[in-house]
Amino acid sequence: MGDRSPEPVEETAEELFEEAPCGYLTTLPDGTIVRVNRTFERWTGLDRQRLLGTARFQDLLSAGGRIYHETHYAPMLRMQGAVREIAVEIVCADGSRLPVLVNSQMHHDAQGQPAHVRTTIFDASDRRRYEQELLRARRREQDVALQLQQGMLAGALPAAPGLRVDIGYRPAESGLEIGGDWYDAFWLTPGATVALVVGDVVGRGVGAATMMGQLRSAVRALALTQQGPAAILSALDAYAVRHDVGEMTTLVVAQIDLEDRRLRYACAGHPPPLLVSPRETPRFLLDGRSMPIHVPGGGTAPRPEACCALSPGSRLLLYTDGLIERRSQLIDHGMERLASAVAARQDDPGSTLASALLHELPDPDHPDDLCLLLASV
Amino acid sequence: MTVVARNNVFEHGPRAGQPMLFAHGFGCDQNMWRHVWPAFADRYRVVLFDHVGAGGSDASAFNRDRYASLQGYADDVLEICDELGLTDVIFVGHSVSAMMGVLAAAAEPERFSRLVLVGPSPRYIDEAGYVGGFTREDIDGLLESLDSNYLGWSSAMAPVVMGNADRPELAAELETSFCRADPEIAAHFARTTFLSDNRDDLGRVSTPSLVLQCARDAIAPEVVGRYVHESLPGSVFVQMQATGHCPNLSAPEETIAAIQNFLGG
Repeated sequence: MGDRSPEPVEETAEELFEEAPCGYLTTLPDGTIVRVNRTFERWTGLDRQRLLGTARFQDLLSAGGRIYHETHYAPMLRMQGAVREIAVEIVCADGSRLPVLVNSQMHHDAQGQPAHVRTTIFDASDRRRYEQELLRARRREQDVALQLQQGMLAGALPAAPGLRVDIGYRPAESGLEIGGDWYDAFWLTPGATVALVVGDVVGRGVGAATMMGQLRSAVRALALTQQGPAAILSALDAYAVRHDVGEMTTLVVAQIDLEDRRLRYACAGHPPPLLVSPRETPRFLLDGRSMPIHVPGGGTAPRPEACCALSPGSRLLLYTDGLIERRSQLIDHGMERLASAVAARQDDPGSTLASALLHELPDPDHPDDLCLLLASV
Repeated sequence: MTVVARNNVFEHGPRAGQPMLFAHGFGCDQNMWRHVWPAFADRYRVVLFDHVGAGGSDASAFNRDRYASLQGYADDVLEICDELGLTDVIFVGHSVSAMMGVLAAAAEPERFSRLVLVGPSPRYIDEAGYVGGFTREDIDGLLESLDSNYLGWSSAMAPVVMGNADRPELAAELETSFCRADPEIAAHFARTTFLSDNRDDLGRVSTPSLVLQCARDAIAPEVVGRYVHESLPGSVFVQMQATGHCPNLSAPEETIAAIQNFLGG
């Protein structure tokens, strides 16, 4: 007892073929259908009498599927002898569409010439619904992240006699996840001292957007208690390490005293500000540099700052790396390009210059998040 | 980046021979010509390439604006000719590349001596008084499926390399990139291709041309091939026995014979 082999199941080869849990088709190399099983007929409502010898497999597909068949499926089958998991839609007898996954194998005759193609067809309706759900979920997340980012960046910019701030901001194109670039400008002493910030959080999507929000708020809070850009960066670094946020964030903090036109600035791993003084060649401010915020194992390094005087009519440009980076080009080229673009438009109003830089400089082929802040004094 | 690297250009045959430039259509790459070009490499300087985004091309050179019209691809063809110093060119274009050849020849007529257009279509979408073979809804359906069905299309475009017991040399020889493309680039190329309308460009070409028309071609039906023939001054129309849209793969002998006949043996 307990040793009995299972009862043999009575099924013929014909039953296995006709009632298989997938559709079966045999076609000639040009797609003409020469054999089809009952499962396929049942799924599609297409009658074999009207298919055999006349219809081609590609004739049963939606227009998109027919194009895909001619441009991908048939060439791959010829070249590689097989294709698998091709997603197409079959137009059923009642006009409805059946999403299917198709596997095909080419069989050759004794002379090595293509003789016929065997194809299995799997109902992919549920899979298609699942794919569409995934797609909707992804689009929803992109929308949420974008709204989050835009909400956090909203707000009035400081303005006063002798100060104008212009912003250029471009979220990544639709279809790409947003990044964590941010800008900020706020009064330290209303009407007298203004803080300017541009930063870049590593990562993309909702995570990067919320992280950006945290760091942006932290900078605002710290700026009110700390004395100057370098101290703000040190305090932000301690905050980021302590709460383990914003790893490898880069930012530049600048502070302008409007009365004596003094600029103080510090860069944490961030591209250098560009200073444009009237009738002078634009120059990058290369001092006051330290490493990014929250460098793993980075310890506490000194954070220097630098200062310089601003002559009347000067402009200070802060920006994120998307403005100067291009794939397969040195960053120096990007900086040169930025400097000459600014020089060429030295007399443009701030808003015109900001918008021109935003449209002309970024790599058109690899749109990424990007922001710039232009302060005119 | 050189154009040769950008477009993955390969050359065969005698350097001093008359240049014969083969351009592949939407979907695959220069391997589409693998059964055809060897028949010409004894006399002609055969030049093969991949469109940017296809096959072994440099995908980082892809630019949505440049390749938003077939003119961008035609400019690539002219740049290849320029960099290699090709003149007196016989251009052989399959499918959408046939129209790129038309645009290139219209721009630089002195550069080209013959055009061979395999399954050409100057416009895929029907219009009052014109049959292209597809309705606007058909094409929108295709583009929508490219845009939305990303899982399906990405897996469909993933490398499919499998053993072929009957012809093991085939799998080994083939690039793994055959018919594979970045889904976003493929979707963009599809949009450029199937929304193109280059009917007015046909009359700008005086280069002697051959229109090779397959039977039961789902992409470029016979009525479209005839339209191209009638609109191209001095063109020859050849109706092939081959069926489908890719006679270069399914009927290479017939394709070779038709081209040889056109070129004068």
